[in-house]
Amino acid sequence: MSSPARRSPSLSLHTLGVVSGLAAGAWLGSAEAPTKLVTIGFTPFLISLGMVLGVFVARWTVPVALKGTSYVWADLREKPHLIVWGIIAGMLWAVANTLTVFAIRNVGLSIAFPLWNVNSLVGVFWGWLLFNELRGSDGRQRLKVLGGAAAIMIGAYLLAYATTTHESPHAQPGGAALGILAALGAALLWGTMYIPYRKAYISGMNPLSFVTVFTFGELGTMFALAAVFDGGAAHVIASLNQAKPVLFWLFLGGFCWVLGDLFQQYAAKYIGISRGIPLSNTNQLWGLAWGALVFGELAHMTGSAQALVVGGSLIMIAGATAISLAEAPASEQREWQAAMERECLRYGLDRERVAAAMSGSESAGSARHSRRWWEILIVAGAVAIFIWLGVHAERQAIPLDPLWLVVLAAASLVLLVGGGILLWKRTRFG
Amino acid sequence: MKKALVTATLTDPHLWIPLVVLALGIALLAVLA
Repeated sequence: MSSPARRSPSLSLHTLGVVSGLAAGAWLGSAEAPTKLVTIGFTPFLISLGMVLGVFVARWTVPVALKGTSYVWADLREKPHLIVWGIIAGMLWAVANTLTVFAIRNVGLSIAFPLWNVNSLVGVFWGWLLFNELRGSDGRQRLKVLGGAAAIMIGAYLLAYATTTHESPHAQPGGAALGILAALGAALLWGTMYIPYRKAYISGMNPLSFVTVFTFGELGTMFALAAVFDGGAAHVIASLNQAKPVLFWLFLGGFCWVLGDLFQQYAAKYIGISRGIPLSNTNQLWGLAWGALVFGELAHMTGSAQALVVGGSLIMIAGATAISLAEAPASEQREWQAAMERECLRYGLDRERVAAAMSGSESAGSARHSRRWWEILIVAGAVAIFIWLGVHAERQAIPLDPLWLVVLAAASLVLLVGGGILLWKRTRFG
Repeated sequence: MKKALVTATLTDPHLWIPLVVLALGIALLAVLA
């Protein structure tokens, strides 16, 4: 930790969390853009695994670049019980992601997406039940959060319905019940994944340390699932080798996804999962913007479908606005403190240090952590992997609009740099 | 200290929620595959 005197405490943690949630939506949505360049010839398991490999590389590199290995190591050693929680969270993500593949196969995206989007309501429920979120706040604040989450879900449903009504030929009507079950299962798993997130942050862990552990559960489970469902480990490795020309795009998607997920982690830390997760679920707006404006996917859409897209987007924006304005009052903050103190008591954590970490002042002890020489090698290694994949990448023959590409990339970069500066100034990425 | 942490983790009632949900998810995948 360095120079606490230069921090800007005037920025409220609520504002920081809201900005993080919105930036998460932008980058989680933008992660879809590179994967659109990977069109045919590979199974969903392989595409998912390729992306998770990119995620794995980025999840090691970004924390090392921002905080250093000594910091992450000290943070993990201080709260070793959270390593289990990080791995479980990664496993939940991987299983949920695979369930969505089956859900889309059986019932199509327009039905599957709104069903698994219920994950934010599952998260709100766990936040209320286990971590005292929304307790102690008045009816108006609760209405803003619950109404906002519901609006984001309804907006997502309208967008999915308007954009995927012609995808039904891929659906398998015979397996409709199982497809719906798979989508609801994904919602339950993703919504439950936020329990480890919040558990880590009310114990004072830094989001950068948490994702470093998370990625092991994620990659290990994804590889195991691909091996089981995609013809064995040898076949998966051979397929990855064949997929080398498109791996760059999958890695790039994974890298964007990591940036979005990091912002989501900071949102979960500073405004809780009941507010942070619905905000980051606005990623569908960004995914739609990339698809419609850059790749021209909705060019042949009817007038009524376009009206649904506009209506769904406006409802989603209204929901995000309502949540942004629902700052937790002091009475609710006291309930959060009670949940934090329960964790301190159970795991023997230093209450004052955890409270400081939750307020963005400190997270892995007050000691300054020196940088190590191998950190530059880790970052250089990751850059080299991207360059190597880029050299072998094949340019995909998909038409795109360069103007909108620049506009959306610039808007995402503004949120990345703006959110990053705010997090650095207020918390030093704490 | 380590033993106390292991005990605290295993007796944490919150731990069993994600574990049970994970088991349900894997069972569902086995049915779907």
